[in-house]
Amino acid sequence: MGVGEVVAEFGGVYVQSLLSTWLMTIVCFLGGLALGVLITVMRVSPIKPLRVVGDFYVQVFRNIPTISLLVIFVYALPYLGLLLEYRACLIVCIILVVSSFASENFMSGINAIGVGQIEAARSVGLSFVQIVRLIVIPQALRTTVLPMTNLLIATLLTTAMGSQVPLTPPELTGMVNYVNARSVAGISAFVVSAICYAGTALVIGFLGNKLDKKVRIVR
Amino acid sequence: MAASDTAIIQMHHVDKHYGQLHVLQDINLDVHKGEVVVLIGPSGSGKSTLCRTINRLETIDSGEILFEGKPLPQEGKELAAYRAEIGMVFQSFNLFAHKSILDNVTLGPREVLKTPKDVAEKEAMELLERVGVAEQAHKVPAQLSGGQQQRVAIARSLAMHPKAMLFDEPTSALDPEMINEVLEVMVELAREGMTMVVVTHEMNFARRVSNRVVFMADGQIMEEASPDEFFDHPKTDRAKDFLDSIRGH
Repeated sequence: MGVGEVVAEFGGVYVQSLLSTWLMTIVCFLGGLALGVLITVMRVSPIKPLRVVGDFYVQVFRNIPTISLLVIFVYALPYLGLLLEYRACLIVCIILVVSSFASENFMSGINAIGVGQIEAARSVGLSFVQIVRLIVIPQALRTTVLPMTNLLIATLLTTAMGSQVPLTPPELTGMVNYVNARSVAGISAFVVSAICYAGTALVIGFLGNKLDKKVRIVR
Repeated sequence: MAASDTAIIQMHHVDKHYGQLHVLQDINLDVHKGEVVVLIGPSGSGKSTLCRTINRLETIDSGEILFEGKPLPQEGKELAAYRAEIGMVFQSFNLFAHKSILDNVTLGPREVLKTPKDVAEKEAMELLERVGVAEQAHKVPAQLSGGQQQRVAIARSLAMHPKAMLFDEPTSALDPEMINEVLEVMVELAREGMTMVVVTHEMNFARRVSNRVVFMADGQIMEEASPDEFFDHPKTDRAKDFLDSIRGH
């Protein structure tokens, strides 16, 4: 079965699976970004226990393969009385991993701000929370557009982990199993999925570059 | 420029160490309302550190610092509220890089003093006018020269209506042709009666504008005198050596 035939026969489901991938990517990335900001605020806070917990969090979730986390969530958590849907398990796992990488990106963005601006903000009478909200986060976000673009693409590709659990509709990689269970498409089904991933990633990369040029802080 | 009798800033037996280094040794200093005190001395003498302890950007090991008769707050809200009353101008300007010049000046009033946006902007424009950078109001800091950035930094401090202002080597990072435009703003402030503590190497400024020169070396105040007395008749050898070295060329 050629690529054309795959598209002709399964086109509709492919669109659904592409949307499924996109939706999970957006949810996981935004969730990861929000949680990443929170973890980063903990890591730079004046309260030591918060810094320790924040650093520990990043070391844990940055250094465990997402697939292992997923296995734990799907098979171990029910023993603790926590039974999540497959899609929820997947999304939570990816958010945990993405947030730890996002926090590392933020930390590098924060290091670029320089202690002088923080001292100036303190001298004006701003509180820690105000400094974080008004000076640190906006600058850290704007200086880390490119690494965050990479992280968004990595998030997109990590949603392929969804092929390891039953999802309806499937995402792009699970879609390959779906197709091959119903016909003999072989490699062609992979090719269609790969094109969808690559196309999405190219658009993300292009938009990320444009955004970076627009918001980058001149120093 | 008569300074009144009330000491607005008082430092009593202040000591500070950086590890083994004794950077402030038994510092006793009073700054009166409306007074301009210039701190001079060789680099590493502790003058910047002293300046920074006054708004608690540096903590001290022992002794006490009083502002308007009250000890400086330790942490939290009271410390932030205290800092809002003291202007600080840094060597490297430290403008907020992601904000326009206007927003740099209005940020403090809006967020700390809760001044309404239009009032804060009107006042900020007046201040920017006064320091001569009103036309740059909508640019970002990186688009301005060092001298312009430093004048914005002064306007940013003034927007908080400070009771005193600290200047930590405000002209040391500037190209020579930009030093005067910053000093002029500071001279005008001094004339208006602002209480100022200025760490500087600008001896002409010290001589013309200050009420008192404090000479520091090795973490100690070696000498304290009126500018004429200090520059014409320094008492200590350290001060004589220092003045010789800067007049040497």
